[in-house]
Amino acid sequence: MISNALRLRPPRHRVDKRAIWWWTTRSLLTAVAAAAVPGVTAVFVEPIRFWLLLVTVVVGLAGLGVTVVMPQWRFRVHRWEVTDTAVYTSSGWLWQEWRVAPMSRIQTVDTARGPLQRVFGLSSVTVTTASAAGPIEISGLDHTLATEVVDQLTETTEATPGDAT
Amino acid sequence: MSGHEEIEETQDTEAGHWQGLSRLSVWANTVGGALVIIPIAIAVTVTFALVPMAWWWALLPVPAAVLFIAGATYVDLLRLRRIRYRVTDERMEMRSGIIAKAHRSIPRERVRSVDVAAPLYARVFGLCTVTVGTGESAGAGGSDQLQLQFVTAEQGEELRRDLLQRGPAPGSSGEEAPAEEGEEELARLNPRWFAYAPATGATLGIGFGVLATLVGINAQMGGQGWEWLSQWLGLPSGAEIGAFILAQLLLLIPLTLFALLLLGVVVTLAVAVETWWDYRLARQDDGTVRLTRGLLTSVSLSVEGRRLNGVALREPFVLRSVGGAEIRAVATGLSAGDEQKTAAKSRLSPAMPGKGARALAATLLRTSDSPFSPAPRVHPRAALRRRFTRAGFATLGAVVVAGALTWVHVQVREAWAETLSSVEIDVMAVPLTSGTAEAAPVWGWFAAAALFGVVAFWYAVGSYRGLGHGLHPRHLVVRRGMAVRTTVALERSAVIGWRITRSPFQRRLGLADVSATTAAGEGLYTATDVGLGEGVAWAEGSVPDLLAPFVERVEGEDEGSGQGRSVLP
Repeated sequence: MISNALRLRPPRHRVDKRAIWWWTTRSLLTAVAAAAVPGVTAVFVEPIRFWLLLVTVVVGLAGLGVTVVMPQWRFRVHRWEVTDTAVYTSSGWLWQEWRVAPMSRIQTVDTARGPLQRVFGLSSVTVTTASAAGPIEISGLDHTLATEVVDQLTETTEATPGDAT
Repeated sequence: MSGHEEIEETQDTEAGHWQGLSRLSVWANTVGGALVIIPIAIAVTVTFALVPMAWWWALLPVPAAVLFIAGATYVDLLRLRRIRYRVTDERMEMRSGIIAKAHRSIPRERVRSVDVAAPLYARVFGLCTVTVGTGESAGAGGSDQLQLQFVTAEQGEELRRDLLQRGPAPGSSGEEAPAEEGEEELARLNPRWFAYAPATGATLGIGFGVLATLVGINAQMGGQGWEWLSQWLGLPSGAEIGAFILAQLLLLIPLTLFALLLLGVVVTLAVAVETWWDYRLARQDDGTVRLTRGLLTSVSLSVEGRRLNGVALREPFVLRSVGGAEIRAVATGLSAGDEQKTAAKSRLSPAMPGKGARALAATLLRTSDSPFSPAPRVHPRAALRRRFTRAGFATLGAVVVAGALTWVHVQVREAWAETLSSVEIDVMAVPLTSGTAEAAPVWGWFAAAALFGVVAFWYAVGSYRGLGHGLHPRHLVVRRGMAVRTTVALERSAVIGWRITRSPFQRRLGLADVSATTAAGEGLYTATDVGLGEGVAWAEGSVPDLLAPFVERVEGEDEGSGQGRSVLP
C-alpha cells in the first residue's frame, strides 16, 4: 500500500540545549523528594525500617535512571516549528506526542516561566485552541526567542480571519 | 399574569427592554422544594413518634421544614428581583446577584444552543427554564451557560425563536411565530422503539441494585427487619431458607435472574417513557435543529445548524446485539458542567432500530451517501496483537487472584467457618456464602479464571473489530469500542488541529493514535491503533492543506513500522 509510505517529518527546530539541564534538575528534585518520603519515615519508624530503606533505594535508583536517560531522550524528541499556516510540535520521551494547529484556529498565545526555567533562562510558549485536547506547549525555549515566537504568532493570528472555532 | 405584562412592555423598542423572571417562579420553586422536604419531615415525625423518645421531639420536624421553606422563598424572592435579562440586536445580557453582583453579556452570534425545559411542578404554573449555551466558559471552572429559572412559557418560546435567529430585531412585534411553518420533520417517536429501552447492561444491574439496597437496610437495622418480616409472614428461619436455596439452586437461580430482569425492565421502560415521550426532531428553515421530548419534564433543545458539526452513533453492547442504536450530537455549546450532563444533553434520539438510526444520522448531516453505511477501514493486525497482549495480562491477573481466593476459600472452610457464618446471619439473614463455600469445589476459582480468560480474548477480538476510520466527501469517520461502540462522523471543516500519540509499544508495532481536535463535542476524536502511515495519510486527506507541509514520503527504512510496508521501490 502506498499510503504506508507516508509519515510526519520532525519539526524543524530543536529546543534550547539548556533545556537538558532544566529537565535534569527537575527530574533530580522529583527523585530526591520521592525517595525522601520513605527515607525520612525510616528514621522514625523502627519496626519496618529495613523495608522502608529498601523502598528508598529502589525509588532512588529508578529516579536516578530516569534523570540520566530522560533529558537526552527528550532533547532528541522535543522539536517545534511555526510556519505561516500552522504550529507544529513534537514532545515526550517514552510516550511521544505530535501536535498541529492551524493559525486560523489559535485563540491565545502566552509565555510562561517557572522559577526553575528562569534559572536556566528558559521560557515556555503555550498556544491555546478551542479544543478540549488541551493547549500546545513548546517548553525549553530561550527566553528572547520565546518572546519573538509569541510576537510572530500573535501577528500571524491577527492577520488570519476566522473566529477560532 | 404578571410576567406577561413585562413582555408587552418590550414590544415597542428596538433594543429590547430589561425583563425579569416570572414572579410565579418563586412559587414554583417553593412547591418544588416543598414536594421534597415535607414528605421527609412527615416521615421523620412518624419515626420520632414511634421511637421511644421524648414526645415533643415529634413536634419539631414539620414546623422546622415550613420555616426552612419560608426562608428559602424569601431569599428566592430577593434573587428574583435582582435578575434581569435583555436581548438586543447584538448581545444577550443578564444581571444577577444579591450580594455579589454579576453582569454577563454575550454576543448573540456566540449563542450555540437554546434549551427550554419544563419540569412538571413548573409546568403547572406555565413556566420553563431557559438555558443558553455559548461555547465560552466564564473563567476557570465556570460553565459556558446562561440560565433563566423560571420565565413564562411565552418568554421561553420567544427566546428560543429569537436567539438563534441571525440578524435584526429580536422580540418580534406583532407577528406570530412564523418559524414553525417551514419545518422539516426528521424523526418522530415510534412507540415500538420503547422495546429497545431495556436492552442495556444496566437492566440486570438495576434489579441487583434494588436487592442490594434491601439487604443493606436489613444490615443497618441489625437484622431486625428480616426477623419482623419472617414472623409476620410466618416464614421459616434463615438457616432453613439457606438450606432450601442451596438445595434448589438449579430452579432458584434462573427464577431469581428472571425476577431481577423483570424489575430492571420495568424501571428502564419507565425512564425511557419519561425521557422520550412525544419525541420529535425537526430542522427549521434556517438550519436550526430542534429536539422536543419528555413526559413529566418536557424538554426543547435547539441547536444552530452551523454548530452541529457531526453526529455520533452509539451502540452499547446489549443494544447492538439486538440491532439497536442511538444518536448523539457532536456540537459546540452543548457542554454543561460535567461530562455526564453534557452527554445527556447531546442525545438526539432514543434507542431505535440501527438502520433507522443510521438513516437519521445521515439526514442530520445532510449527506446523500451516509458516512455510516459502509464499514470504516480496518486497522492493522498489530492492533489485534496489542489487544491479545492485554487480554493475556488480564488473564494472568485473574489466575493470580484465583490462587489467592482459593487460599481464602480453604480458610473459610476450616479456620474461619464459625465466625463468618455468625456475621453473615446478622447481615444477610440467610447464610448463603458459608453454605456455598461448603458446597462449592475449591478448583471452582480456577474454572472462573479460565472463563474470564475466554471472555477477555473474545473481548479483544470484538474490540479490534470495532476499530475503524474512514473518509467521506465532507466528513471524517472514526469508530471504536466493544462495550460501547461509537461511530463518529465529524465535519472536516470543524477539525482545528491534529494530535498524534505513540506509546513505546505502538512504536515497536508501527502503530499510532491519530486524533482530530475540534471545538465540538468531546473535543478529541481518535483513530486508535492505526498504522502510522495510514493514519497520517487519513489525516492529511481529511484536511488537505494543514498537514501537507509536515508530511514526507518514506522510501527506504521506515522506523519501526515492520508490517504492511510497500514492496514497490
